[in-house]
Amino acid sequence: MNASWSRPAAGAEEVIRECRTLVELLPSQALARARQSRPDLRGLGVFPVYAPQEIIHAAGLMPIGLFGAGAKLETTRADSRFQSFICSIARSTLELFLSGDLSRESGFEGAVFSSICDVARNLCSVAGRNAPGVYVEYLHLPQNAATPAAREYTRREFGRFRSNLAQHLGRVIDEDDIRRSIVLYNRVRALIADLYDQRRERPGSIRTADLFAVVLAATCMMPEDFVPKAEDLLCSLREGAPVERDSVNVVLEGAFCEAPPIDLIDAIESAGCQIVEDDLAIGWRIFRGEVPVEGDPVAALADAYLASSAYTSVRHDSARPRTRGLLDRVEASGADAVILASAKFCEPALFDYVLFRRALDERGIPHLKIEFEEKMWTFERLRNEIETFTESLLFD
Amino acid sequence: MHYAAGIDIGSTQTKAVLMDAARAIVARTVIPTGAHVVRAGRRALEAIVAEASIQAEDVRCVIGTGYGRYKVEAGDAQVTEISCHARGAQFIFPGTRTVIDMGGQDTKAIRTGPEGNVVDFCMNDKCAAGTGRFLAAAADVVGLSLEEIGEVSLRGTKPIRLTSVCTVFVESDIMNYLAQRKAVEDILAGVHQAIASRTIGLVRRVGVEEEVTFTGGVARNIGMVRALEDKLGTKLNVGPESHFMGALGAALFAVDRLLAAQPQEVGRMDATPVWSDGLEGR
Amino acid sequence: MPTAAPQPAPAANDYGSVVHDLSREVMTEWMTQLQDAARTGAPSAYMMVSGNCVEILRCFDILPVFPEINALQLAIRKKALPYILKAEEIGYASDNCAYVKADIGYTLSEGVGEHGSTPKPSLIVCNFVGCNVYIKWFEHCAEMLDVPLVMIDVPFVRQGEAVSTGDLHYVMAQLRGLITACEELTGVKFDIDRLREIVGHSARAEAGWSRAKELCKSRPAPFDCYFDSINMMGPINALRGTKQAADFFDAAVAHYEMMASRGLGATDEEQFRVVFEGPPPYPYYRNFRNLFAAWKAVCVQSTYSTVGGTWEFGFRHDPDRPLESIAEQMLLHNLCNRTMQERYRQIRRYVEEWEADALVIHSVKSCRLFSAGQGDMREYFTKELGVPTLMVESDLEDPRYYAEAQMKNRIDAFFESLQYKRLRGSAAEAGPVLKEGVSDALRRGH
Repeated sequence: MNASWSRPAAGAEEVIRECRTLVELLPSQALARARQSRPDLRGLGVFPVYAPQEIIHAAGLMPIGLFGAGAKLETTRADSRFQSFICSIARSTLELFLSGDLSRESGFEGAVFSSICDVARNLCSVAGRNAPGVYVEYLHLPQNAATPAAREYTRREFGRFRSNLAQHLGRVIDEDDIRRSIVLYNRVRALIADLYDQRRERPGSIRTADLFAVVLAATCMMPEDFVPKAEDLLCSLREGAPVERDSVNVVLEGAFCEAPPIDLIDAIESAGCQIVEDDLAIGWRIFRGEVPVEGDPVAALADAYLASSAYTSVRHDSARPRTRGLLDRVEASGADAVILASAKFCEPALFDYVLFRRALDERGIPHLKIEFEEKMWTFERLRNEIETFTESLLFD
Repeated sequence: MHYAAGIDIGSTQTKAVLMDAARAIVARTVIPTGAHVVRAGRRALEAIVAEASIQAEDVRCVIGTGYGRYKVEAGDAQVTEISCHARGAQFIFPGTRTVIDMGGQDTKAIRTGPEGNVVDFCMNDKCAAGTGRFLAAAADVVGLSLEEIGEVSLRGTKPIRLTSVCTVFVESDIMNYLAQRKAVEDILAGVHQAIASRTIGLVRRVGVEEEVTFTGGVARNIGMVRALEDKLGTKLNVGPESHFMGALGAALFAVDRLLAAQPQEVGRMDATPVWSDGLEGR
Repeated sequence: MPTAAPQPAPAANDYGSVVHDLSREVMTEWMTQLQDAARTGAPSAYMMVSGNCVEILRCFDILPVFPEINALQLAIRKKALPYILKAEEIGYASDNCAYVKADIGYTLSEGVGEHGSTPKPSLIVCNFVGCNVYIKWFEHCAEMLDVPLVMIDVPFVRQGEAVSTGDLHYVMAQLRGLITACEELTGVKFDIDRLREIVGHSARAEAGWSRAKELCKSRPAPFDCYFDSINMMGPINALRGTKQAADFFDAAVAHYEMMASRGLGATDEEQFRVVFEGPPPYPYYRNFRNLFAAWKAVCVQSTYSTVGGTWEFGFRHDPDRPLESIAEQMLLHNLCNRTMQERYRQIRRYVEEWEADALVIHSVKSCRLFSAGQGDMREYFTKELGVPTLMVESDLEDPRYYAEAQMKNRIDAFFESLQYKRLRGSAAEAGPVLKEGVSDALRRGH
C-alpha cells in the first residue's frame, strides 16, 4: 500500500515533535512543565468526555485532560479496585490517584468527572475515597435536551461547579475571567477546527497521528501556550504542498474517551486509510462555533453545551440521534468508509456500534470494527485487519 | 498407632500425605488424576498405606481437598485447598503470614494467621490471564519447559512489554516479538514480569505481611520466584515440595480431628516433620 | 477448622414457600395482563426498575412493562443464552450487558408484539436513574420497535443526602412532560386525586417491605433477604401503586411476623448472617443459593433488593405531595442513583444494624453500575472495618460466566475461615491444637 506523506515544513515538524513529547508525559509532569514559567500554577484533572475547561482556567488553574496513563505507568494498585473487565482508562486514572501523580503534592487541586458511563461514575467515587484532601467533582451533564427545563438545569449545574470550585479554592471565580477564558478556548477550538479542515481539504498535509498528538497537547498545555504553537503549525502546513495518496478516506469513530495509542492511529494510516474525520478527544473541541461572551458567561457555556455541541456516544439527544450525527460526519467529510474503534470494555461505544452498523449497512457505507487498549504495544493483528479492509475497498 | 491422611485431588495430579498423631509425615505420593477422579483418590490412599507398611484400618481420618475433594470416597470431611495451602505452608515455614499459590488454572493470595488459619484470601478473576497456564503457553511457543523459561528469563536485560496477559493472545504476541528479532530471554523476562505484576495486584488485595511463602507448581520456576521477590522487595519461602502443601494441610486437619476424637493419644506435640529437612528457608 | 462436610441443601420448596406462592400469584396476574395486552394492543409502556415512576403510568391505566424483569425471567428459566447469542449476531459485544442482549434477542425473536408474551409498547419511558446502559437499551428498543421514547433524566446524587431544588424542579418538569405524553396517548385527563390514591398504595407496600426487612434483624432471620427477596422485589418494583401489591405485603409481613415470633428462620439452624452486595446469578440461582445454604448462611440484608428503593431507611411516597415524592424517590431513595461511597455507608449500616458476620460481594460482569469498583469496596470493608468479605464473580444473565467448582471453592474456603474464627473465639483457651469436630466423632475404620 502506498503510504507516503509530504514532509511537513520545518516549523511544523518542530511543533509536532514538541506535542508528541508532551503527550508522553504523566499529568504531573505536564503540569510541572507549565509551572516552569508559572511557579504558582496548580492543576485540575478533567476526565473525558467534557467539562467546562473555561471555568477551571478562570479559577487560575490549568485544566489537564486525563486520558489514562497509556504506557507511561504500570497499573498495579488499581487492579485491586477495578476488575479485569473494566476499561483501561478507569484503571490507569485510579492508578494516577493511588500513585500520587494526581495529588496535592504534585500540584493538583483535584479532578472533575461527568456522567458518561457507569464506570466513570463509580471511578469518581472510588478516586475520591482514595485521595483524601483532593477536590473531586462529579457533573451530571443533561441527558434530556428535549425538555425546556434542561436549560435551567444545565446552567445551574455549571454554576454549581463554579461555586464549588471557588469554595474549594477559597477565592471568587470572576465573570470577566471566565469571559477571557472563553475567548481563549474559542481560539483553541477554532485553531483545532482549522487543523481538521486542513487535513480534510489538503489530504496528506498532516498525518492524523500527528494531529491527534496536537489535540492531546492542547489538553495538557495552558491555552495561552498552545495558541501560538497551533498558529505556527497551521501557517507551515498551509505552505506545504499536498500529496495525493492512494488511500481510503475514513471516519474514525468511537475513541471519544480512552485515548488510543498514537501508534494505533499510525497503524491505521500506514495500512492505507486516510482519516478525514474523527471523534478523538472530542470533549476538548466540542463546540461548533464560538461560545458568546456577552451576558452571563456560565450560562453561555451551559447553553452552548445544550444547543451547539458535537454529538457524542455518551449523551442522549432525541433531536440529534447519534446515528444521524455519524452519517452527517461521513457525508460532510466525504469519507468512503467508517472505522469504529472502541476501547476494550467501553460500553457506550460497544452499544453504539450496533446502531451505527445498522445505519451504515442500510446506506451501503463500508465499516470495520476494531478494539484497542491504552496498553497496547503490538499492532500487527490490527494492521492486518485494516489492510485487508482497505484492500477490499480499493480493489472493489 | 492411628494415622491421618490428606488427599489433594487436582485437575492433573492427585497428591496424598499420611501423618501419624504426632504430625510426623509417614508417607506421601503423587499420581496422575486421569479421567477417573474417584479411582485416583482411592489409589493415592492405597499408595501411602503401602509405603508406610500399615493397615488400612489404622488410617482413622481422611480429609479431601482440591477440586476433587468431594470425590474422595474415604473422606471424612472436605476442606478447600485454600485452607489447606495456608495450613501446609505455615507448617513448613512457621513464620508464614502470606501465601502465594500459583497453579495451572488459578493463582491465590492468602493471608494467614499464626496457626495457619486463613485470615483473608483472593483468587484471580474469571479470566485465566496471569496464571500458570499463561506461562505454560509461553513456554510452548519457545519450546522450553516451565522450569527452563524461568532460568532463561533471568538472563533478559531488556524485558519486552506484553499487550496483555491473555492466554489466548500470548502465542501471537510472542511470535510477533520473535519476528521483530527480540531476544528470547528478553521476551521471557517480559512474560515473567507481566505475570508477577498481576500477581502482586492480587497479593496487595489481602495485604502483604512477611514471611511470604510461594507454593504451587509455578514455585519451581526460578524466574517467577525472582520476579515476585523483586516486586515485593522481600525474599520468598520456597520449598522443593511446594506442590504437596494442599495434601499436607489436609493431613494436618485430619490429625486435628483424630486428636479431638481421641485426646489420650496425643503424642510428641513438637515433632519436627520428617520431610521438612532440607527445605530451604530462604 | 471445618467441622463437617457442608450438609446437602434443602429440597425445593423449602425456601419460604408461603410468600413465594403469594408472590407468584400476583406476578402471574400481571404477566397475564401483559400477554393480553400483547394481543389487544391496550396501552403499555416500557420502564426501568430502578427509581421508577410507575405510579404515573397507573394513573392512565397504562400497563408497565419492564424489560429487566423480562431478561431476568429468561435467565432464571435458563432460556437466556439463545437470545444473548442472537443479539451478539447483530453486533452486540461479549462485553455488553447481557440483560440488554437477552431482551433485545427476545424482541428480535418476536417475543414482543402480538405473537409474543410481551406487548409492543405504546411508549418507551426511559427513567434514567443511575444506570447509563438504560439509555442505550431504550434507545435501541425505540429504534428497533419504532416507538417514541420519553426521557426522564434524573441527575445523579452528587451532594450527599440532600436533593437540590434545581434537581427536583428538573425532574418534576420532566414528569409533567411524561404526564402530557400519557394524556396524549390515552386521551385521559390527568387526575391528581387518582395519583394520590395510587401513591397511597405505594406507601403501604413500601411500609410492608420495610417492615419485612426489619424482621430480618431477628435471629434467626425469617427469610433470606437476598434469595427470597425476589419474591418481594417483583411486587414492590413492578406492581407498586396497586392495591394488590399493598395487600401482598400485608400478608407477607403477617407471615414473617408469625415466623419471627415462633423463632422460625429461613434455615433450620442459622449459622452465619451475611450481607449480600450485587445482583444474583439468575441462570444458576438455586445452585448458587445451595452453596450458602450448605453452610446455613442466611442473608439478612442486601443491596440488590434496594435497586428500586431504599425503603428500609424510612422514605415513603406521599399522597399529599404525590409528584414531589415521586421525584424525590427517583433522585435520592434508591441504590442506583447513589455513589459508591453512599453504598459503602448503606452496607455498613446493614452489617451493624442487622448484625451480620460477613459481606459477600457477587460481582457481575454485565452490570458495571454494581461492579465497577467493588474491589475498592472489598478493600474498605476488610482493611478499614475488619468485616470479612468474600468476592465472587459470575453474571446475572449470561450462563457462560458461572463456574460452579470455582464458586464453591471460594465460598467453602470463606466459610471455613469464618468457622475457624468463631471456634477460636469461643475456645480461646483451647491451646495451640485446634479442637474442632468434637461432636462429630470419628465414625469410620477401614
